[in-house]
Amino acid sequence: MKITTESVEETKLIGQKLGALVNSGDIICLTGDLGTGKTHFVKGFAKGLKIEDSITSPTFTIVNEYQGRLKLNHFDVYRVSDPDEIEAIGFDEYIFSSAVSIIEWSNYIEELIPEESLRINIVKVPEKGDNYREIEISYTGERYNYAKEINLC
Amino acid sequence: MLILSIDSSTESASCAILEENRLLGEISFNYKKQHSVILMTMVDNLLKNLALTITDIDGFVISKGPGSFTGLRIGIATVKGLSQGTGKPFLGVSSLDALAYNMAFTSGIVCPIIDALRGNVYTALYKFNGAKLEKISDYLLISIDELLILLKEKEETCTFIGDAVHIFKDKLVEALPGVQFAPVHLNLARASALGELGLSSLALGNHDDINTFAPLYLRKCQAEREYDKKMELLKNV
Repeated sequence: MKITTESVEETKLIGQKLGALVNSGDIICLTGDLGTGKTHFVKGFAKGLKIEDSITSPTFTIVNEYQGRLKLNHFDVYRVSDPDEIEAIGFDEYIFSSAVSIIEWSNYIEELIPEESLRINIVKVPEKGDNYREIEISYTGERYNYAKEINLC
Repeated sequence: MLILSIDSSTESASCAILEENRLLGEISFNYKKQHSVILMTMVDNLLKNLALTITDIDGFVISKGPGSFTGLRIGIATVKGLSQGTGKPFLGVSSLDALAYNMAFTSGIVCPIIDALRGNVYTALYKFNGAKLEKISDYLLISIDELLILLKEKEETCTFIGDAVHIFKDKLVEALPGVQFAPVHLNLARASALGELGLSSLALGNHDDINTFAPLYLRKCQAEREYDKKMELLKNV
């Protein structure tokens, strides 16, 4: 499914709605070019999880952990040049835990992503405006059926 | 010789103080990995309740893995700090050896299995020669199916112990006739078992080096992971 947003606030709102619906152990993959708003999406997502800390991109730390109504592992694997590198930090222990994991640039570590996961891809459409985004949501596994409920209303 | 032993390589967080012929005290929690929060408090409580201070300890034993990456790092960092601060030696012992040692005098093969996620286990095969533990395989990171093939070839009674038992129990019962499992009260990584294995070696003057010692992380290489992924995808077709 595809949702279009026309501002940063709307992108955040979609993130927030998803954050309010996710369950313990869910794995959310987040892709999209630089500047499409992945981190803004995560900020909304964290709000939906009732996390009060401010969210910063873990580009250098690879993962940040937060506590809200569930624990959140926020990954950014942009700087990871080799999946082995992220596997070595104990990646599996993070994603197969009771926490929710959201992984920016998950396409860089495709081989480590379980088949059963929810995928969000954010796409810019420049001809429709600077802040126009298409948010594509797809998933494998019935546990993610709740994604159908997400909309801007 | 008084030893402080710590095992944080699995779900269980465990610390013990022991000497040659006596276990003075042990604290274990086998509930939700929270080693970074509780480990130092456990050590502190153990020392206080035994009316000891850290300077009374003559050496440290730590689980070197394989096991939880995060757990291993917490335990090893802790013991390196204690060893450096007190100037007393430390020694790493495999958590698999310690688990197998819980089953002393068991005949046949003793097979500890630690959950390595994605259907894999950390394991090794052992036999007891009387009370003496003998390892008869390498430390392995393999899928449970591969392990079953390996064990079927052995045609011996097999006793399982470890935190992966409850995940694969049905499968093991089905595949291996006469299979046995550790009783619940023994089925956790205990610092006392680890410490006992390490103590005799420390007493002989063996120890690890604070600068070079690293956890035994068993990991699959990229090619193996890609192969697994492919098999996983084929299964879903």
